[in-house]
Amino acid sequence: MSASTTETARKLMIEVRGLRKSFGSNEVLQGIDAEVAEGEVVCVIGPSGSGKSTFLRCLNKLEDISGGTVVVDGFDLTDPKVDINDVRRHIGMVFQHFNLFPHMTVAENVMLAPVELKKASKAEGREKAMELLTRVGLAEKANARPAALSGGQKQRVAIARALAMNPGIMLFDEATSALDPEMVGEVLQVIRDLANSGMTLVLVTHEMGFAREVGDRVIFMADGVVCEEGTPEQLFNDPQQERTKEFLSKVL
Amino acid sequence: MVAAFLAVASLLFGATGAAADTSASGSGNSAVEGKTFVIGTDTTFAPFEFRNADGELTGIDMDIVRAVAEDQGFKVEIRSLGFNAALQALTSNQVDGVIAGMSITDERKEVYDFSEPYFESGVQMAVAKGNDDIKGYEDLKGKTVTAKTGAEGETYAKSIAKKYDFKVKSLDQSASMYELVKSGNAVAVFDDYPVLAYGIAQNNGLKTVTDKVPGGSYGFAVNKGKNADLLAAFNDGLAKLKADGEYDKILDKYLGDPTAAQPTSFWELLESSLPALLKGLKNTMVVTGISFVVAMIIGLAAGFMKIARNIIVRGISTTFVNVFRGTPLLLWAFMFYFGIPQLTGLPINIWVAAVLTLSLNSGAYVAEIVRGGIQSVDPGQMEASRSLGLGYGKSMQKVVVPQAFKMMTPSLINQLIIMLKDSSLLLAIGFAELLYQGQQIYAANFRVTETLFIVGVIYFVAVMLLTKLANFADRRFNK
Repeated sequence: MSASTTETARKLMIEVRGLRKSFGSNEVLQGIDAEVAEGEVVCVIGPSGSGKSTFLRCLNKLEDISGGTVVVDGFDLTDPKVDINDVRRHIGMVFQHFNLFPHMTVAENVMLAPVELKKASKAEGREKAMELLTRVGLAEKANARPAALSGGQKQRVAIARALAMNPGIMLFDEATSALDPEMVGEVLQVIRDLANSGMTLVLVTHEMGFAREVGDRVIFMADGVVCEEGTPEQLFNDPQQERTKEFLSKVL
Repeated sequence: MVAAFLAVASLLFGATGAAADTSASGSGNSAVEGKTFVIGTDTTFAPFEFRNADGELTGIDMDIVRAVAEDQGFKVEIRSLGFNAALQALTSNQVDGVIAGMSITDERKEVYDFSEPYFESGVQMAVAKGNDDIKGYEDLKGKTVTAKTGAEGETYAKSIAKKYDFKVKSLDQSASMYELVKSGNAVAVFDDYPVLAYGIAQNNGLKTVTDKVPGGSYGFAVNKGKNADLLAAFNDGLAKLKADGEYDKILDKYLGDPTAAQPTSFWELLESSLPALLKGLKNTMVVTGISFVVAMIIGLAAGFMKIARNIIVRGISTTFVNVFRGTPLLLWAFMFYFGIPQLTGLPINIWVAAVLTLSLNSGAYVAEIVRGGIQSVDPGQMEASRSLGLGYGKSMQKVVVPQAFKMMTPSLINQLIIMLKDSSLLLAIGFAELLYQGQQIYAANFRVTETLFIVGVIYFVAVMLLTKLANFADRRFNK
């Protein structure tokens, strides 16, 4: 984003040091170092199996962390004294397959967390939900069940749901990969609006054009390590690593 | 299989009873005055005990024990359990005494204390009415006969089985034995002569071809060393009944001139049996309802324990499921009603035993249904909920379980229906459910097929209604 001029003075929202993650004997993350500043939009790209989704899922501890440290919004996720439920309220997450709750209406999906976590009464929760649904352009679907929505609509509801706790950070795990091509645009528009609002975003994505457009920084991961990172211009126009060039030649 | 289990059980429990030493001695009727004694009896031993058209327990034994009780000033509460079950109940002190057309034998005297004989019986053989091939024991060569488990008929049949080269197949109830003979699966039945005589007079489809074998005196029994006052009072009362002619009147009433059976129509049978059957249906429904609620609680707990991260918690649940899925329901019915009371010395209410049996068995299946239901919910649902900051418990409660229940509902309805039908097995411990009531009826009137047909229709209608109700509830709550 053009507004981010004083990068170093800004608060670090995410600080990852030497992050390792193994599934059995398979080490998926082999020592990741990364930082994300407040208001920054970071896109993570890379080939399948490079560990980018696992990396993202470590940022709100959906995966147990095998080694290293992850500090998010001041909370050290590897500290056993830290209540992970508290941390997660500061981090919204959007999944590839939406994961909407099918037994609830759209509004109930959005208001579940604020109401259950006693941040809002039912009436306040509903009001907030309507506000968020208006923001993603789906206020008229408030009383529909998720099954009645298109893929793009589902993902927009999922974004509204993730925003309900007023998180400082939003994580997007291939948020458009499961969508029909004609629905990708509407979801990207919502994310673009979030980026423009100054929220901290980390996106794992296959949409290279979108990464180039909204990303302040792009991280290229391969084989469980950060291979290269930089501004979109640097990474897409002048990649330094062979691995990066090889990947970009295939996807661009 | 039931008979075999009971036979083994009687040996085991019998040995325990024999070890108890004798104490206390009778002191006359003042010792029993005003007290209430629980008396166990057979379900089906007409004319000694059977249910009349009004569903009341009647017969020689019943009339004698009631007359003695009246004379001696005590009260009796009759429990119609079945012959073997009544003896088990006596050994485990669930009942105070047993009067069930029981012959006084040396083996039984080891375990029980008997009154003076109140009836001189004997064994007789009967064959199907239309069978002209069997005229004596010699004609039994290579054939199968039937007799009642643990009764004198069985002892006698086995004593001559080798000599005449026939096999003995033992059953638990007179009515079942007669059906076996009429269906041709056995050629003859050995039973106590008054019972046979009464049945034949009721048109049970049999006839006698050999003479009665004298022997066997019937006695009233109490547990060895227990209830000596009751035993003394019975002897005293029996002597008075014999002296004043009341005893002969009772015998004449049932044996003197067996009432020639007046065949009634199916509709009359239906009308007369329906009140008792509906009472049974009510017990079936109530015990199933209570047990299902308990099974759901057990099953939910065990189901959640099965998916716990702690290996010990998981192990406890897996063991529970394996034990109750891997053992027959009937075994647990016997265990809870006869076994546990002997270990603890505390009598157990039959409803408690029945609910424990059904709910623990069903709870094991419900646990698996719950586990499967929860595991069938997309893991992404839990992840989405957790990523919103909801804890594991809240996520389960609000997100996973509601969806799991939707998937579980058809299996749970199925389990409920299985339980309703399985509750019929409780007849083995004398629980007065629907099939038990049916047995009571055909034991007295020998109309086995028609009675079973009526019982079957009632079960079917009950299950259909339950299914409709459950499906309605499913649609209502799982939109």
